[in-house]
Amino acid sequence: MHDTKLSIGGCYSLLLILAATIGLIEYGGLIAQPGSLLLTLTFWGSIIQGAVAVAAVTALVRAQWIASLRRELLALYPLLLLLALLFALLWPQLDLFPWSDHPTIWLNRPFFMGRNLVSLLLTFLAGRQLALHSTSGAPFKDRYAVIYLATFVLSQSLLGFDWLMSAAFPWISTMFGLYFFTEALYAGIAVSGLAMLLYFRPRMQTAPKDTVRHLRDVGLLLFGFSILWAGLFFAQFLLIWYANLPEEVHFVTERLASFPERELCWLFLLGLFLVPFVALLGSQAKGDLRFVSAVSLLVLSGLFAERLFILLPAIPYHGGALLLYNGLIFVMLLLVLHSSERLLPSASFLTKD
Amino acid sequence: MARQLFFDDQQTFLQQLEQLLSDGIPSGQLDVRTPYHLSEIDTLLGQPPSKLPLFALGGALAGFGGGFLLAALTSLDWPVITGGKPIVAVPAFLLIGYLMTILIGSLASFAGFLLLARLPQVDALLEEQDFDSRFIITIADEVAPCTTPN
Amino acid sequence: MQNTSSTEQIEQDVLAAMSRPSRCYLACIFLAGLVFLGGMALWSRQIALGMGVAGISHPVGWGVYITDFVFWVGIAHSGTLISAVLYIFRARFRTSFNRAAEAMTIFALMVAGLFPLIHLGRVWLAYFLFPYPNQRQLWVNFRSPLVWDVFAVSTYMLVSLVFFFVGLVPDLAIVARRRPGFIGKIYRLASLGWVGNSQQWRHYTKLYFFLAAFATPLVASVHSIVSWDFAVSIVPGWHTTIFAPYFVAGAILSGTAMVITLVIPMRRLLRLETYIPISHIESIAKILLLTSLIVGFAYVVEQGLAFYSGNLYEMEQFRFRALGDYRLLFWIMVSCNAILPLTLFVGRLRRNLAYLFILSLLVNVGMWLERFVIVVTSLARDFDPYAWGNYTPSFTEIGITAGSFGLFFLLFLLFIKILPVLSITELKER
Repeated sequence: MHDTKLSIGGCYSLLLILAATIGLIEYGGLIAQPGSLLLTLTFWGSIIQGAVAVAAVTALVRAQWIASLRRELLALYPLLLLLALLFALLWPQLDLFPWSDHPTIWLNRPFFMGRNLVSLLLTFLAGRQLALHSTSGAPFKDRYAVIYLATFVLSQSLLGFDWLMSAAFPWISTMFGLYFFTEALYAGIAVSGLAMLLYFRPRMQTAPKDTVRHLRDVGLLLFGFSILWAGLFFAQFLLIWYANLPEEVHFVTERLASFPERELCWLFLLGLFLVPFVALLGSQAKGDLRFVSAVSLLVLSGLFAERLFILLPAIPYHGGALLLYNGLIFVMLLLVLHSSERLLPSASFLTKD
Repeated sequence: MARQLFFDDQQTFLQQLEQLLSDGIPSGQLDVRTPYHLSEIDTLLGQPPSKLPLFALGGALAGFGGGFLLAALTSLDWPVITGGKPIVAVPAFLLIGYLMTILIGSLASFAGFLLLARLPQVDALLEEQDFDSRFIITIADEVAPCTTPN
Repeated sequence: MQNTSSTEQIEQDVLAAMSRPSRCYLACIFLAGLVFLGGMALWSRQIALGMGVAGISHPVGWGVYITDFVFWVGIAHSGTLISAVLYIFRARFRTSFNRAAEAMTIFALMVAGLFPLIHLGRVWLAYFLFPYPNQRQLWVNFRSPLVWDVFAVSTYMLVSLVFFFVGLVPDLAIVARRRPGFIGKIYRLASLGWVGNSQQWRHYTKLYFFLAAFATPLVASVHSIVSWDFAVSIVPGWHTTIFAPYFVAGAILSGTAMVITLVIPMRRLLRLETYIPISHIESIAKILLLTSLIVGFAYVVEQGLAFYSGNLYEMEQFRFRALGDYRLLFWIMVSCNAILPLTLFVGRLRRNLAYLFILSLLVNVGMWLERFVIVVTSLARDFDPYAWGNYTPSFTEIGITAGSFGLFFLLFLLFIKILPVLSITELKER
């Protein structure tokens, strides 16, 4: 039988090819509008870093929840490098940001590129260390997970403040950093819901009890995070709505006044809160593979809609390129999830509680 | 007279309970008391799932609707604009609805618990029954008192 | 799984704490009571003479009373965190703390609830805060964050009380069995005639889970709403979107510190070393570390974004906090809340009880100062420089604050002699 699982070398070469393809499309004269790359990055930046972070958090607190999926989530670590590669491609496109004409101490091209590249590379290295440590067979050391989470928080905060918020400069919302790393964890749990879709059937034959329990845990975590997300979203929205300051509220009003942002807003409210909350309210739904995986997909599309909602008024984009990039990375993600057993062969602490 | 069995550890208690049930004693005649909750008992005695979630859900929904309507209707009752906000200020009133969801949901769950678990139990108070630290199985008489002619 | 001898042992050990009080205990009660009465006397004086005896005036109309209110509501938070959130996350170490922490929640809320009344001046009109049908046909303004506060704090109080009581029911029945005579009868009555049959347990565990599930979002929302008392305004330094999560993390930081402050001496005095092992205290210390990191993150973000935005008023506000008249308080706050707790990355220090105890006291000081800095500095440097002015608390305000600590410790001391300080039922289960 032909083996479709990636080896680690194959994985990295595929990543390089992927980054080169995207670079070629961006700069090969195929598309006129830049911006699709930034949108893609803000979306996958959360998902990939978040998935590894969920693995790190659960290993750190010795949690029993989703223990059997920890290996799959952690195996996504090579993709962290892809983020850094794609971000490097952003260099010639920085005039997308409104501050590029009037640089400040914090927002200027070299520092912007430098700090973000460093934080992305650090995140990759920390994620790689954590993954390699898990295969070393030594008893698990908290240090690796803590270091990864520190770099994760740093680069997610930069994602919120630099990639997204500075596109609406000088508008600010101090919650953006915290909001986006919480969202990244939410996305990580949604990825474990997808991994369940791939692994549920084979695992049911080997360890049915754990698999059923962990599916339920994914459902419960998705449900909990939908409430947490709604709380954070509301906390941010309420203050802007209530204070009604012209320099602040324009961010919301200009988006809610036009197509397609208004519709996108409904889409992400439904996808990130209302539907997961209602669908997973019952205790039976939390243990149902169809519900959990459908909600996971919905959460990911909700996240995508939210990125579009934030960035669309500020930057141009090319629909076809956007679709292609996201499709390619999604396939890559599924391929890596599928190959997790080869990428992290002897991950003893990962699979045990 | 009812027969009472006392156990000091969980394992023998569960075995004995299983034994009694397989001997054909109907679970309705057994009264089982434990120092803490054992989910095995519920499966052994074939108890239906608790109806408490209905109380929680009902209370939560009533609280949400009630809280939101309280804020909205009292504001409409004397419509004065304050702070430049609309009369029915949805985000603010959602907050009241949310808090009342939790308050009424919790109180309704508690009330539902008292109702379903038959507490306060006056006869236990009067007959000086204690909450023992042992596992106890009480087997009621074969001729149950409920077989009176009607 | 336990056999009877060990369950007997648990009952004896935990209930031993409720034996005849020692002289030292009575002295503590006396001292706490005295401080409390002193605070009450000062409050009475304030009611008689008017709000002029307090230091609050233009432009700083919110001072120590509001600081105290936010501080005590914050202290309440870790009780719910430990009993509800950790229950949902199936963290075993909660059994060592949940009873004491829940009691602490209720006492802290009782103390916190006093401060809006103290701040009100005409305290006899406090019932105006609640919506009820009245002859004047007036309703409260539901668009005001102060009314949200009334709802949030009273909901929190009621839900915490129910949660506390439900957790106590089986334990009260145990106390009733072991206490002879009339007092035992009172405990029996309070236990509602609990006998622990399968019917009762079945609904009980469901109820406990539901209460925990309701309390978990509540704990996050109460301090968010408290933070919105400030953040919905447009005052520089107050109006910032991170306030809700920042206040919640701060509340849990201060609450966890208070749990450590109370539990370490309690464990020693009541000889509960076997039931509150060091490893459990270490877990609590980790929560302290985590929340301290979040609070530190919020400090950096707040300061950083004020300068990122280039907004003149925001920049001046944050410059004033760090370098202005209240800079000493600001730097004590930063060191106690965000820098000193970083030492807990060292495992040896997390397990050192004396160190933890001192650190927890410092964090409490830091968290009180944090609220003071937030409340006072923003009002002292509002938009218009002609309306700037500083504030110093008066003797009355400081005295009432001390009195609130007296009340809190008095209630906690009474609690450890009246109710079992650990959940006996959960210890048996463990």
